[in-house]
Amino acid sequence: MIDPLSPDTQAILLLTAPLSAGSGGSREILTPGEYKKLARHLHSIAERPATLLGPGAEALVESCRTVIEADRLRRLLGRGLRLSQALERWRARAIWVMSRADAAYPRRLRERLRDDAPPVLYGCGDQARLAEGGLAVVGSRNADSELIEFTQRIGALAAAARVNIVSGGARGIDSAAMSGALEMGGCAVGVLADGLEKAAIAREYREVLPDRLTLVSPYDPSAGFNVGHAMQRNKLIYALADRALVVSADVNKGGTWAGAVEQLERWRMVPVHVRTTGAESAGLQALRARGALEWPTVDSAEALRYASAPSVVGRVSENGVSATGSVDEDTERGRLLAMTVEPKSEREIIAGTGLTQQRVRALLAILVELGKLERRTRPVRYVARTQTVLLV
Amino acid sequence: MTFDEKRALALLRIATQSPSATFRDGQEAAIRHVVEGRGRLLVVQKTGWGKSFVYFIATLLLREQGAGPTLLVSPLLALMRNQIAAAERMGVRAETINSDNSEEWERIEAAIERDEIDILLISPERLANARFESQVLSSIADRLALLVVDEAHCISDWGHDFRPHYRLLERIIRGLPSNMRLLATTATANDRVMADLSNVLGPGLTVMRGELQRDSLTLQTLRLPSQAERLAWIADRLGTLQGHGIIYALTVRDANLVAAWLKLRGFAVEAYTGKSGDDREALEEALLRNEVKALVATTALGMGYDKPDLAFVIHYQTPGSVVAYYQQVGRAGRALESAYGVLLSGEEESDITGWFITSAFPTRVEAAHVLEALDGAPDGLSARAIMGAVNLSFGRIERTLSLLSLESPAPIIKDGSVWVRTAVGISESFWARAERLTQLRRDEQEEMQRYVRLPFGDHMAYLIGALDGDATAISAPRLAPLPAETSEATVQAAVSFLRRSHLPIEPRLKWPTGGLPSLKVKGNIARTAAPGRALCVWGDAGWGTAVRLGKYHDGRFSDAIVAALAQMFREWSPTPAPTWVTCVPSVRHPTLVPDLAGRVAAELGLPYIATLTCVDARPEQKTMANSTQQARNVDGSLALSGVTVPSGPVLLVDDVVDSRWTLTVSAWLLRGAGCVAVYPLVLADGGNGS
Repeated sequence: MIDPLSPDTQAILLLTAPLSAGSGGSREILTPGEYKKLARHLHSIAERPATLLGPGAEALVESCRTVIEADRLRRLLGRGLRLSQALERWRARAIWVMSRADAAYPRRLRERLRDDAPPVLYGCGDQARLAEGGLAVVGSRNADSELIEFTQRIGALAAAARVNIVSGGARGIDSAAMSGALEMGGCAVGVLADGLEKAAIAREYREVLPDRLTLVSPYDPSAGFNVGHAMQRNKLIYALADRALVVSADVNKGGTWAGAVEQLERWRMVPVHVRTTGAESAGLQALRARGALEWPTVDSAEALRYASAPSVVGRVSENGVSATGSVDEDTERGRLLAMTVEPKSEREIIAGTGLTQQRVRALLAILVELGKLERRTRPVRYVARTQTVLLV
Repeated sequence: MTFDEKRALALLRIATQSPSATFRDGQEAAIRHVVEGRGRLLVVQKTGWGKSFVYFIATLLLREQGAGPTLLVSPLLALMRNQIAAAERMGVRAETINSDNSEEWERIEAAIERDEIDILLISPERLANARFESQVLSSIADRLALLVVDEAHCISDWGHDFRPHYRLLERIIRGLPSNMRLLATTATANDRVMADLSNVLGPGLTVMRGELQRDSLTLQTLRLPSQAERLAWIADRLGTLQGHGIIYALTVRDANLVAAWLKLRGFAVEAYTGKSGDDREALEEALLRNEVKALVATTALGMGYDKPDLAFVIHYQTPGSVVAYYQQVGRAGRALESAYGVLLSGEEESDITGWFITSAFPTRVEAAHVLEALDGAPDGLSARAIMGAVNLSFGRIERTLSLLSLESPAPIIKDGSVWVRTAVGISESFWARAERLTQLRRDEQEEMQRYVRLPFGDHMAYLIGALDGDATAISAPRLAPLPAETSEATVQAAVSFLRRSHLPIEPRLKWPTGGLPSLKVKGNIARTAAPGRALCVWGDAGWGTAVRLGKYHDGRFSDAIVAALAQMFREWSPTPAPTWVTCVPSVRHPTLVPDLAGRVAAELGLPYIATLTCVDARPEQKTMANSTQQARNVDGSLALSGVTVPSGPVLLVDDVVDSRWTLTVSAWLLRGAGCVAVYPLVLADGGNGS
């Protein structure tokens, strides 16, 4: 599954991944923010990461000087053997890796998170499952047995309804949702913040990997627990699902709270529901106040399928969410694409859309990345593609 | 990085210690290609062309421009000492890390850490070693400038010499980004191997390829079925051959045997095998300096050994493939006008090469047993612990573990010191590959048998054709064929030599892991046997056949065997001398061994006393595949019969020794009853002892 790694992915891994087979790793790797800058720079000059590995590498490294120091880039790109060693280690554990440059990279992440989408994803199990959506179930690590049972029941119903469970793979609610589904023959996606390498060969998963369980993580497979990572990966759980159910949360603290609030207020990618049966919860009520929806009483597979269905594409639904991105932006994108049926320069687009230069550049980069726009050179012109092709 | 022609030539002249040396055809182009980073390069040149200059000079030129170190992977590092010496003259700081120099690891690791090593030479097996990965690779993995894959044909499934760990190397190569310099070298690559290499190393692979044939070599084949005839032929011819050479044998045992025989005949020869250990370097030197007439070697003396004036290569048995044979015979006559390459073909060679073929892969049943054992052990098992759970030899278990762990994804992985089952099974492609390789090797074996039958003068063209080289421009042999005849007297001497190869039997010192429950023993053995002797190896060319006939056909060992045992005992004469004789009892053959022991006792003039008895019939020891299983099989099956055991030293007679557990338990019982020393005396070593 890991072969062949595209040159773009190789380059992105060299630049951003610790590639640490257990120990050390480079302290020099680009932070997500730095990589974001570099990626934008590459887009702006119509280059791809792969060029950094080819005959034109030296010139490109020099041209990136303004963004990242040249010697640092050279050192990172010189980690070829480390990359290969890491691949071998992952491959032995049936772990795959893909980058934003790969066609297989989940569209949900690319479109919903744009350049906040993790540059690299590691995983184990069927990649296609990442495109299937499903019901995200999140909640705290410490949950009482009543909540665990409730959550397992949701998992079991999801299995019967053939709806995937998307969860964080942590103990407590996450595990309950996943095991509830897997034990009943259902499918699940576990978005891990740490320890993919261990999970990939864990006994408890042997029966279900790779056929019914897909594990995915934006962090190095040997990475240990890290609160920041756990927080950062929350948005991936939501992005890979069609809807989310928060089973439990504390007010103003903990990862579940932070993830749900971030979803309700910043990302707004999927409708967020909270549990309404069983014990009262201050955290859930607070989420309700911030726009979370009630989770209906679900007691059959049919009801669960209905309750977890995606909101209709393009429709501003429930808590103000469209399936693919925020409203404003879709409109902006639509305007931009509509006026580039004929090739247009950046200046013409700025004039035609009335947007700022900065905004237009960002949109152009995204649309080129999504394959919706083609960037022609000499002179630089943008033209809408009739078919959507996924590129870098 | 830039290629400095003058500097490169100056380095060559330093390395060769010749102020007028110039690059051979293609050497400079190869160095330039690597230094300038023009993409992956495969150099196919016959041995002696000077591939090592390419990577040593390229390494130095890169290092002089601030690049990181080079890593060289080669299957036989021990043989690179000469090249390393040449590299050191140029100022290349070269080190090797291998299983033989563990006392140096820390020093080398520290030097690597300080970036004071220019080129590190390792065997492919190192790549799978956890310590190497964490201590060495991780410190160069961020700055490695050049990866050199020596003997690159080993990567190919189609290569005669495919090595499991090269699969790991193959995947590492496939995982390397294209900005990493990679140089692969080999002396022999037929079209199929080339296709494989292009697939692994490509795309964008540049191939530089030279001529294959060696016009100085006169090739000849002789079919001499018995070992005695071949020993005699070599003894009769060695004195007439000019210069110095190598005699190749297929097994360590045969190499030692041929060397012992030739020494007995007054020749200055030495055996060189994988078991020569620290002596290897001195042995190589001895041949380089013409201090020995020949080394009698296994393939351990193979790729990479460079003696330009090697005058002959004789094969005591036929190797399993043309590529293997040509690599070995191609060592002769590199810098000579003429040299001999003579292949002797014998009756046992097909069994030996056939054994290598069939034992290369585990069977489905073996693999299933090993996986089952690991399935039942969530925390993993060591290879030794698997011996307790599975009736397979340690070697088979290790081979199975090694091959399965090199699969990708792997059904098992090594986690620290234990093997752990993963979530994946063995893919059908593993078995398909095993089958394909097995068939390929049988074809190669057959191709060599056809070579044996060729008339004089046709050999070089056949080899070059089989290697997909250009066979049209081959000249006639420069030397006359050597006579095929052997003198009757030398053959007779060889026969008696073969019958005199007594083997020591070392006592076991430790009970198996977990001890023996019936005897209630574990740890060190308190009452060990004394060192003993075996008359022959089961089925060998000396007494082996007679022993087999006695045991399975006649039901009685011949008088000649009894006489030979008595003779062996007299030559051995252990002290304190035995005062009586006893034997190991058997339910299956109740009279065979007591009869033998009684007759030996009579021949030696000692009393025979049956003191041991079987209390429980067990399967034959030879059906137990490893030492732990064999020990448990003996446990509780033997006992003292109740007859008074004399206290004097005793000769303990048995027919075939396998694991030595029967002898060990017998000796433990006898010494427990007051006997002061127990000397095992057996007919044949079954060869499963290790």
